[in-house]
Amino acid sequence: MTSPRKPWAVLIGLAVFHCLILFAGFFAPYNFAEQYRDLPFAPPARLHFVDAHGKFYARPFVYALEPDPANPGVYIANSADEHPLRFFVQGAGYKLAGLFEVHLHLFGVEGSTPVFLMGSDAYGRDQFSRFLYGGQLSLLAGLLAAALSLVLGTLLGAISGFYGGWIDAVFMRGGELFFALPWLYLLFAVRAAMPLHIAEWQVFLLLITVIGLIGWARPARLIRGVVLSAKERNFVLAAKGFGASDVYVLRHHVLPQAYGVILTQMTLLIPQYVMAEVTLSFLGLGVGEPMPSWGTLLASLQQYYVLSSYWWMFLPMLVLIPLFLACYAAADALQERLKSVPL
Amino acid sequence: MRYITRRFCHSILLLIAVSFFSFALLQLAPGDFFDAMRLNPEISRQEVSNLRLEYGLDRPLPVRYERWLRSVLEGRLGFSLASNSPVAPLLRERARNTLLLSATATALAWLLALPIGIWAAVQRGRWGDRVCKFATSTILAVPDLLLFLLLLLLAVRTGWFPAGGMASASVDSLGTWAKAKDVAFHLTLPALGLALTLLPVLISHIRTAMIEALDSPFLLAARGLGIPPARRVLRYALPAASNPLISLFGYSVATMLSASALAEVILSWPGLGPLLVDSILSRDVYVVVAIVMLSALLLIVGNLIADILLFASDPRIRTE
Amino acid sequence: MWTPPSLPLRIALAACLLCACSTAWAAQPQSGDERMVTNNPPGRPGGSLVVVLKSEPKTLNPVLAEDAPSLTVLRCLNADLIHINRATQKTEPAIAKSWAVSPDGLQYTLQLRHGLRFSDGQPAGADDVVFSFRVYLDEKIDSPQRDLLIVGGRPITVQKLGPYTVRFILARPYAAAERLFDGIAILPRHLLENTYRSGGFSAAWNLSARPNQFAGLGPFRLKEYVPGQRIVLERNPYYWKQDRRGDQLPYLSEVAFQFVSSEDAQVITFQAGGADLLSGFGAEDYAVLQRQSAARHYHLFDLGPGLEYNFLFFNLNDIASKNLPEIARKQAWFSDVRFRQAVSDAIDRAAIVRLVYDGRATPLWSQVTPGNRLWVDPDIPHPPRSVDQARALLKSAGFSWRADGSLADSSGNSVEFSILTSSSNAQRTKIATLVQNDLAQLGMNVHVVSLDFHSMVNRLLTSYDFEAAMMGLVSGDADPTAEMNVWMSSGDTHLWHPDQTKPATPWEAEIDRLMQQQLVTLDYAKRKKLYDQVQEIVARELPVICLVSPDILVGASDRVANFQPAILEPYTLWNIDELYIR
Repeated sequence: MTSPRKPWAVLIGLAVFHCLILFAGFFAPYNFAEQYRDLPFAPPARLHFVDAHGKFYARPFVYALEPDPANPGVYIANSADEHPLRFFVQGAGYKLAGLFEVHLHLFGVEGSTPVFLMGSDAYGRDQFSRFLYGGQLSLLAGLLAAALSLVLGTLLGAISGFYGGWIDAVFMRGGELFFALPWLYLLFAVRAAMPLHIAEWQVFLLLITVIGLIGWARPARLIRGVVLSAKERNFVLAAKGFGASDVYVLRHHVLPQAYGVILTQMTLLIPQYVMAEVTLSFLGLGVGEPMPSWGTLLASLQQYYVLSSYWWMFLPMLVLIPLFLACYAAADALQERLKSVPL
Repeated sequence: MRYITRRFCHSILLLIAVSFFSFALLQLAPGDFFDAMRLNPEISRQEVSNLRLEYGLDRPLPVRYERWLRSVLEGRLGFSLASNSPVAPLLRERARNTLLLSATATALAWLLALPIGIWAAVQRGRWGDRVCKFATSTILAVPDLLLFLLLLLLAVRTGWFPAGGMASASVDSLGTWAKAKDVAFHLTLPALGLALTLLPVLISHIRTAMIEALDSPFLLAARGLGIPPARRVLRYALPAASNPLISLFGYSVATMLSASALAEVILSWPGLGPLLVDSILSRDVYVVVAIVMLSALLLIVGNLIADILLFASDPRIRTE
Repeated sequence: MWTPPSLPLRIALAACLLCACSTAWAAQPQSGDERMVTNNPPGRPGGSLVVVLKSEPKTLNPVLAEDAPSLTVLRCLNADLIHINRATQKTEPAIAKSWAVSPDGLQYTLQLRHGLRFSDGQPAGADDVVFSFRVYLDEKIDSPQRDLLIVGGRPITVQKLGPYTVRFILARPYAAAERLFDGIAILPRHLLENTYRSGGFSAAWNLSARPNQFAGLGPFRLKEYVPGQRIVLERNPYYWKQDRRGDQLPYLSEVAFQFVSSEDAQVITFQAGGADLLSGFGAEDYAVLQRQSAARHYHLFDLGPGLEYNFLFFNLNDIASKNLPEIARKQAWFSDVRFRQAVSDAIDRAAIVRLVYDGRATPLWSQVTPGNRLWVDPDIPHPPRSVDQARALLKSAGFSWRADGSLADSSGNSVEFSILTSSSNAQRTKIATLVQNDLAQLGMNVHVVSLDFHSMVNRLLTSYDFEAAMMGLVSGDADPTAEMNVWMSSGDTHLWHPDQTKPATPWEAEIDRLMQQQLVTLDYAKRKKLYDQVQEIVARELPVICLVSPDILVGASDRVANFQPAILEPYTLWNIDELYIR
């Protein structure tokens, strides 16, 4: 990587994105469960500044949508019916940080016409709002699973690589055992066994925890490989010769050599677990209606008619791509910085 | 030698453990195969119970495990309730299809990743490396699911490639060469998609490993000695970088059966992936166990190969 | 550049042609044979048809088959004594050319056609019929169709009266007796008797058997099976039907079933021309396919409502013995008919039809759909959606609303429950989401719990650990007797409260009485009146809140002629022996 300014731009971008997700209630114009049943699969709203008569307005507005009687499923904008966008409006209530009931939204539209920045889904629910709310669950899931995986994996991989012998054999074989078992079955079993009155998002996070805990084998193996060769380095032997304890040597001499691999793994794991969540939703193990997650938003794409007719349902996936790219770029920058620290 | 025999014994023990644990795991989910029949108003509860008894689903776990082990030793690998036949013939065909797809895709991915990764490491910091970085990050950031869905859309819209399956309906009337071409034609999209999903991780790890090797003191010494760059990279840096790469290769072999599952499901390739998902959803437990065992076997073999290769190639480990 | 063959070659060709003619002539049934003459427009022979199947057949043994793909293929390979014509929904002669019923309604004497041959050329007669029924009724074989042959608590008995005459004896008069025979395949004794006697029947005719081990009376016979990909059938040269012109059916020389596992992949395959017929797809795919129908040379058909009905029902089980205190508490609400009526009134059926099925469905208020022309009761009331009416009902039942709009029962507890759906059925999950939103307007807090199918069935029928569930049923036949197990209180699929030892409520007792009576009433008009009453009780007491019936949607390539889809299974293939390629 080159200029030191780049990482900052990426990090700021990531921070802004996470802010949007964290305060989804404020940035989203609608509640994630609100259905506009007359407008299923409506395309993204077009913001206009110039009206039909050629007059320019500083405040953008949208036209009301009506179904086209000749073409089922197609909408035409009614250019006589303008609805200006207003900022800092009062709307549906939401809980700020789970405690305060607030009604303030960043923007909204006057009148009963909804503004769908990312289009609407099969029930006429605003995809943009659902994307923001869904991000809360999905990012939490990705982070949780990746962290669990990596922590467990580093611990077990380092111990097994460092001590070798029967500990190594037990952990590595155990890892293979773990990896081989049909965990999908376990996930179905866990889901099926849950009592009915537990909240859907709690069940979902439990499933994600299971996935995270299962996934320790792969990072462990990679860490172990690095530790195996790292512990034979001269300075490690020297430290041992000086009477350093195993823990000290691990922490200060061996593990730092693995930081590169650990970081690479972390940046690869978070998007991977977000995508694992999407796959779970495809298989029917996603969070229950009406709670959104990026997985449930995208699960509708597995149906061909959505894939081929409603291009805006791809938008959540497309927004994820730059997000993942930013994650990777940030991690690479961090990795370069760590590299330059002399061992 | 002793190391290899020790690993071999461990592997057998592991396989047995996998079989036992997965058998136990499969009893966790409530409901069994015949539950689907209970919603058919034309079949009585008694009938369903009789079927359950007939297939031994009411016996206790150790008894069923023992019967299954015996079936494995006889080569039948248990009984598929859904297909009403032993599992072994069912798996043979499907496993062959999956290996065809995975092997092609893995080979393709490694063939592309090695030169690109090495070149990127050598070009480190310059625009070539950055372009490479950007491209692989973009491909990595594109979810596998989206990739396969887009390939499917491409096939349907343009008609250049078949939209699924392994062969056309009229394939039996073609000669051997034409048959092979037909299968290769159907193989293109899934193999391409799968290779693309494997590529970014491979390139990034290869690049990282090569950079670490290129940064090490002995490389600097080689440069000082005037050894030409190509030789430095291939003869000196690459072997030193091989440690994590070998683990990665073993991992590639090990996950050959599971990595292709998503591609098979979306692009309708008749392999083990769709069979596994269907069997899990319909609670056809013996098929699930058999597929798990097969994956475990491949996993163990892959890891064993990786460890042996590691042992053979990295002198630093041999000295312990 | 084609050059005419040399003289020796021409003589050889002529000789071959003569041989072929003589074998073909030998394959023609001898005089005295009685083929069934069909009424379809005559077609031309030859051509092959490609059909997509959702999964591989599990077995090719008609006695053991239960799943849809196996049954679809088996219907092409086998024939039955009396067949239900899917278009008219009435019975017609098949292998039995005629039959007589004794005055007490207990004995059915069937006359078989002469000169019948199985697909391997061996003659078929009364011995095969007796053998087939013996296998079907054998308790050790555990055929899923065995229960259909038990009338009045006793299995029907079969007697051979002559080489072409068979008599069936029932334990008591049975209204739908003729319909019993549909789907019971006549098996070749010469191939299966030894296997049956040695006890290996359960493994017979599974997918690993070779094609020459099979024989049947259906229009096609097995040619080839490629595991995981396709199963190919070829024309049965001994088939017992002919058209008005005297040409022997079927016209098609080959039928190939491709296994394409997901509905989307099937739609894609059909659209790309990889399949000639398509059924079992949803309304949204209909819209996508419709756009390209002219360009890709196929036609789509919306046949109107079929027999499927989707419904919401509550847990009315007696769960005193199970440790489910939460659900027991909520049953106080579920068992109040006003609560169920309020739920029914608040649900927006029109929105379900519009949003889930793109308008290609019919709203329902009772279990018989308008597609079941012979049995639907047109006088069932169809109350429009009314949230106010629902609120009034809830109020009269002792519920009240809090300040924030949520509903509370008479003890002050919030009304909150979950609806169970199967994760593999996207449409029912969609219906559940719409219902969740509708009931929120009544102040009810409803969760949608989506489980995999087997876990759901386990909860519904074994552990009774559920509160409400969204289900759908498709009857195998239009006749009410096919659903005895659903409506009888002692039935296994009496979903809201199965296996009752005695009816739990007066209206369930009434339904029991009516269903038992229609079972033995032979006059159609009288049976209709009885079954109408059952429908009225269901619409009034709402053990199941019926919501919609999706339309039957099928598609066919333009090259397929004589295509006459029906709303009974198999929608597109029931007249496969009459289809031909233009």
